[in-house]
Amino acid sequence: MDVFDLFRLAFKALLARKTRSVLTILGITIGAAVIMGLIASSGGLTAGISAQVDKIGANVVIVRAGSSNFLSGSTSSYQLSTQDLSALSSISHVVQVAPYYQKPVTISVGGQSVSGTLIGIDSSVLPTIFKGLSLSEGTFPNSFDPTSAAIGNSIAYPVSSTGAGSQLVGLNQAVSMKIGAGTTSLTFLVKGIFGAYGSALFSNVDESVFVSFQAAQLLLRTPYFSAIYVIVDSADNISSVQSSIQTIYGSDVSVISAGAIASSISAITGQLSVFLGSIGGVSLFVAAIMTANTMFVSVMERTKEIGVLKAIGFRKSQILSMFLSECVVTGIIGGICGTLLGYVLSFILGGALSFGPGRGGGASSPVFSLGLIVFSLFFPIGVSVLAGLYPAWRASRMSPITALKYE
Amino acid sequence: MTLQKTELTPAAKNLPGTAPAIETVNVTKIYNVGSTDYPALRGVSLKIERGELTSIVGPSGSGKSTLLNIIGALDRPTSGRVKIDGVDLRKLSDDQLARIRNRKIGFVYQSFNLIARLSALENVEMPLMPRKIVQRVRHARAMKLLDAVGLGRKGGKRPTELSGGEQQRVAVARALVTEPEIVIADEPTGNLDSKTTREVLHYMNEVNRTTGTTFVIVTHNPEVSDTTRRIISIRDGAIEKDQRLQRLDSF
Repeated sequence: MDVFDLFRLAFKALLARKTRSVLTILGITIGAAVIMGLIASSGGLTAGISAQVDKIGANVVIVRAGSSNFLSGSTSSYQLSTQDLSALSSISHVVQVAPYYQKPVTISVGGQSVSGTLIGIDSSVLPTIFKGLSLSEGTFPNSFDPTSAAIGNSIAYPVSSTGAGSQLVGLNQAVSMKIGAGTTSLTFLVKGIFGAYGSALFSNVDESVFVSFQAAQLLLRTPYFSAIYVIVDSADNISSVQSSIQTIYGSDVSVISAGAIASSISAITGQLSVFLGSIGGVSLFVAAIMTANTMFVSVMERTKEIGVLKAIGFRKSQILSMFLSECVVTGIIGGICGTLLGYVLSFILGGALSFGPGRGGGASSPVFSLGLIVFSLFFPIGVSVLAGLYPAWRASRMSPITALKYE
Repeated sequence: MTLQKTELTPAAKNLPGTAPAIETVNVTKIYNVGSTDYPALRGVSLKIERGELTSIVGPSGSGKSTLLNIIGALDRPTSGRVKIDGVDLRKLSDDQLARIRNRKIGFVYQSFNLIARLSALENVEMPLMPRKIVQRVRHARAMKLLDAVGLGRKGGKRPTELSGGEQQRVAVARALVTEPEIVIADEPTGNLDSKTTREVLHYMNEVNRTTGTTFVIVTHNPEVSDTTRRIISIRDGAIEKDQRLQRLDSF
């Protein structure tokens, strides 16, 4: 009796009780799919958030008005203005301070309105703050030019529902926008177009219109900045700078660094993964109980058959392996179906679990590690075999005459 | 049903001086029901030589099935000694007993005991599976046996698609596929009509004659015991009569 014999017999046995086999396999499939789907999508969420956090330079600290946690808005009436720039510059290890403006705008592109962000910032700090961001066409407008802008990739090349779009806005063309819900209208000449970048922590770069800091100040007519980027000489000194700022301002501002966000996010998503993984674990455990139950019933029903097998000379180990191979087959089918279903599920969940600014900007695509796939394929087999072990062992230990007499 | 002599190897089973096929010495079997002991066998000693065709008869509860289980290496006696083909079963483990059953004994039952989800051919093949015999060879041997019992064309049928007589012929083929020393049949014709009974008996007789396989048949049916050359009567757990009859092999 070789592996092929065992598998062939197992298939026939499972086919002989189709409904029960399908239900057992379904139980295992759901268990495996839930584990796969939840872990892959929460891994995707983590990776998506990390990617956004990573785009902010490791030596950059963001100072925003108000003592707030970074997810909810400001709760303080304190406003950041020019005087804060000198206060922040005087802190040791601080290399440069870059105030910036950020306003939600409605941009008219090709007859359609899309929401975006107007960002006013000194172009020289852009590469430090948004790592890897560069212009793919044109140049950044001059510092005091209030009529020119550089635009994010998605504004120039809108992504339509049918896929990547063609160019709607080119260099030296005009883009018009309204600020917020108001009526103030602005029009800029496009001088530069950024390469596709994605979202950084607070800014969806691809859907932003960049002007110089001075131009934004002029156009928005406010002395108060949205935030100040503080660039530190080295990532090692981030925490000392952070505590210095906190000492000066107390609860008037919140200080955020990429590293701090990264560590708090990884703590949250780590717990999320454990939590979601345990939900999957519970469903697989339930599937294991189902499998054990099915196997017990199957062994009982086939008591007479076991007697016949014993009479014609099957050894204990052979009867044990016959029943266990039914579990293995159940587990293999459940594992494969579960992995496939989990793959689909993780995209559905990935769409639901999103983080970050912009339309679709934060939707996470699930992360499938080789380990996860191997786990989701083989763990159900292990669970199924473990569940069938005791019933199969009982079958193998039956006395041949008792089994033969069973009706 | 015809059997060609080349189909089954007539093993050198009748060599003089070799051990009897089955030998029991003072075998007892006591069942414990609650606190009372119920003796099913009270000291049975018998020898069945190689190539004998023996029936065991007796009323219900006489202990004949218990005896059959013990000489079939399915059950162990409470005391006494059982030898199959000269091998003392007392010292053997469960797995070694399974090996003895697989190598030396074929079983035929009243209720056929075929596996319903397997085809006739696969059922006949089953006893070859515990051995390391590849599927192709198993198929060939099982097919030969099915041919021999006249069911060569029905190998693909499930037991439920066969008549009772056909099912029993499949069961006989299964018992013989391992070329056993001994075939043990427990009421093999109990579920068959008289015509089919005669067919099955005829076939077993023919196998016995051509291959020298030892047959032990437990039966209620005088029509069955009349075809055997030796009749052992059991009553109350002991041998009451042991008759050897001179018959012409006319059946």
